[in-house]
Amino acid sequence: MLEWILTAIVRALAVSTPLLWASLGEIYAERSGVINLGVEGMMILGALFAFVVAQVTGYPVAGLLAAAAAGGLAALLHAFVSITLRANQYVSGLALTMLGLGLAGVLGRGWEGIPLLNALPEISGLTYLGLLLAVGLWLVLHHTRLGMVIRSTGESPAAAEALGVNVHLVRYLCVVFGGTMAGVAGGFLSVAYRPSWTEGMTAGLGWIAIAITIFAGWDPLKAVGGALFFGALFHLSFRLQAWVPPEALRMMPFAFTILVLAATSGRRRGRGAPEALGLPYAAGER
Amino acid sequence: MRWLTFLVVLVLAGGLAVPGIAQQKLKAGFVYVGPIGDYGWTHAHDFARKIAEKKLPWLETIYVEKVPEGQTESFIDKLILQGARVIFTTSFGFMDGTLAAAKRYPNHIFAHASGFKRAPNVATYMADFYQVYYLNGLMAGAATKSGKVGYVGAFPIPEVKRHMGAFALGVRAVNPKATVHVRWIYEWFNPTAAKEATEALIAEGADVFAFTEDTPTVVQVAAKRGLPSFGHYSPMHKFAPKHMISGQLVHWDKIYVDFLSKVYAGKYTAENLANVDYWWLLAEGAAELGGEFGMPVNPEWKARLQAVKVGTPDLGRLSVYDLVMKRLAQMSDPKVTFEPFTGPIKDRKGVLRVQSGKRMTVGELNGMEWAAPGIVGPWPKEP
Repeated sequence: MLEWILTAIVRALAVSTPLLWASLGEIYAERSGVINLGVEGMMILGALFAFVVAQVTGYPVAGLLAAAAAGGLAALLHAFVSITLRANQYVSGLALTMLGLGLAGVLGRGWEGIPLLNALPEISGLTYLGLLLAVGLWLVLHHTRLGMVIRSTGESPAAAEALGVNVHLVRYLCVVFGGTMAGVAGGFLSVAYRPSWTEGMTAGLGWIAIAITIFAGWDPLKAVGGALFFGALFHLSFRLQAWVPPEALRMMPFAFTILVLAATSGRRRGRGAPEALGLPYAAGER
Repeated sequence: MRWLTFLVVLVLAGGLAVPGIAQQKLKAGFVYVGPIGDYGWTHAHDFARKIAEKKLPWLETIYVEKVPEGQTESFIDKLILQGARVIFTTSFGFMDGTLAAAKRYPNHIFAHASGFKRAPNVATYMADFYQVYYLNGLMAGAATKSGKVGYVGAFPIPEVKRHMGAFALGVRAVNPKATVHVRWIYEWFNPTAAKEATEALIAEGADVFAFTEDTPTVVQVAAKRGLPSFGHYSPMHKFAPKHMISGQLVHWDKIYVDFLSKVYAGKYTAENLANVDYWWLLAEGAAELGGEFGMPVNPEWKARLQAVKVGTPDLGRLSVYDLVMKRLAQMSDPKVTFEPFTGPIKDRKGVLRVQSGKRMTVGELNGMEWAAPGIVGPWPKEP
């Protein structure tokens, strides 16, 4: 029994690592007022670039840096479209997901079916660093001036602007930060978790990361719990198949997200979404 | 002036010659369900398409990938607009779309993989693996130490159940007490799910792995833990050179070359395909045993398989390696002197499913829902 639980915990940790990284990034982007539905697209680009660079250089860590850069660049595109051009954030994010999946598919053609020889272990520095980052990001968000600036940009950009905050700059930085985190999450999949490159290999994990963002109430610390919970659910959906109908287990992550959304949507402050989430902002607007 | 005349003649000649060559060519269009890089089903079809193009100088091919099943017809329209005369639709879910399109294009030739509905201009074809799965099962039965063999399945449909059934029959033929533990991922393509399903099986004590889904994930995960496995569909040996014992390989090109040659020769037309059904196995060369073309059993495993002896009713006592080779030869024989699904076979509940001495028919194999003895785990639609 103990062994059963222990292996389940190890598996939950492994699956939750990319979920945690991606959702921490998304939390910062959304806290600044920009929703980015392009997580899946940024993750897959990160996965591809991490694999290619790790394969070429022989250093998986170099791969992860490339993944961060790829994710950040992809996020920059979303930032430009949704912040500077003030396009609909949801549409831009969805487009980024499709663009990322398509682009990675085309660019990755020659890299399919090659095993990665220098891979990172699954429960690696990334897992622990993710946990540390969660604490650090929580501290920054709630106990520093920078955190207050980010939160105020997401809650009331006009007020923040009046206090001398450069709303566009803060949002740009947060969105790009979110992209680098998603990129690393994808990189983890291709250089540690799998480790190889396959088109479409993120297979919906980016969407679960977005669900965790909501599930965790936009709180980095709670995201740890959320990622572990969803990671455990994902693993258990295969572990418990002998006893529980597999169809029911597979839909659990999504069912839980809907439940949490329903439970939290009534309350506005505190657990709710940032007030200005999804709203484009132009200086001087109310 | 003379050079101008020369030029005009040249252009005219070229203009006449090009359509002349073009008429000689036959254009075939392929509709794929997955990305061609999936390293599984679609990859294998595309690999075969390229071989056919190389082998048949008069053949020209085009393809569309990642086609959603609901949009089969519009993608067929696209291929036909691009000049395709023969259309191959390569997923079960394309069946009704193919039939509907075939009605609208009565002069075009269609062939649908893995389905059962035909029409005067729609043939069906399938390269099936159950015989090879049986051979892999024999080896898995010899390789397992824990007596638990893991199997990751995509969907609980007859095709996958047939594979698992043949595999389990093989396992039990060598190791009557062993069990085959099943996990479903409910997707053809989801490496993350395949990975966690494998991890779950490892946690439960399985130490040899086989699968029916479209990625090499299971092989990789098992190898990382030092556990043996069997590849599926594409040559996956390189993913686990030490740990992959064998696997199944497909040769869709045999079917494509045969079918297209007959179309080109005028033997198959848009009127006479209603009874054309390719159900090609080992004997026809559409399936091959191995994790790499030309390598039925990984040399690393040969000695270990030779060390395990097993008794059989027809061949006496022999090593598992020899048994695999004998059965392979029997099933590769055009007369097919051995069939895994030969009765008496009871299902795991004890119900007699195949009468003594009878072989399952193609129709029965295509609709197989029961679980072979030794299979442990959920089995939706179990009769």
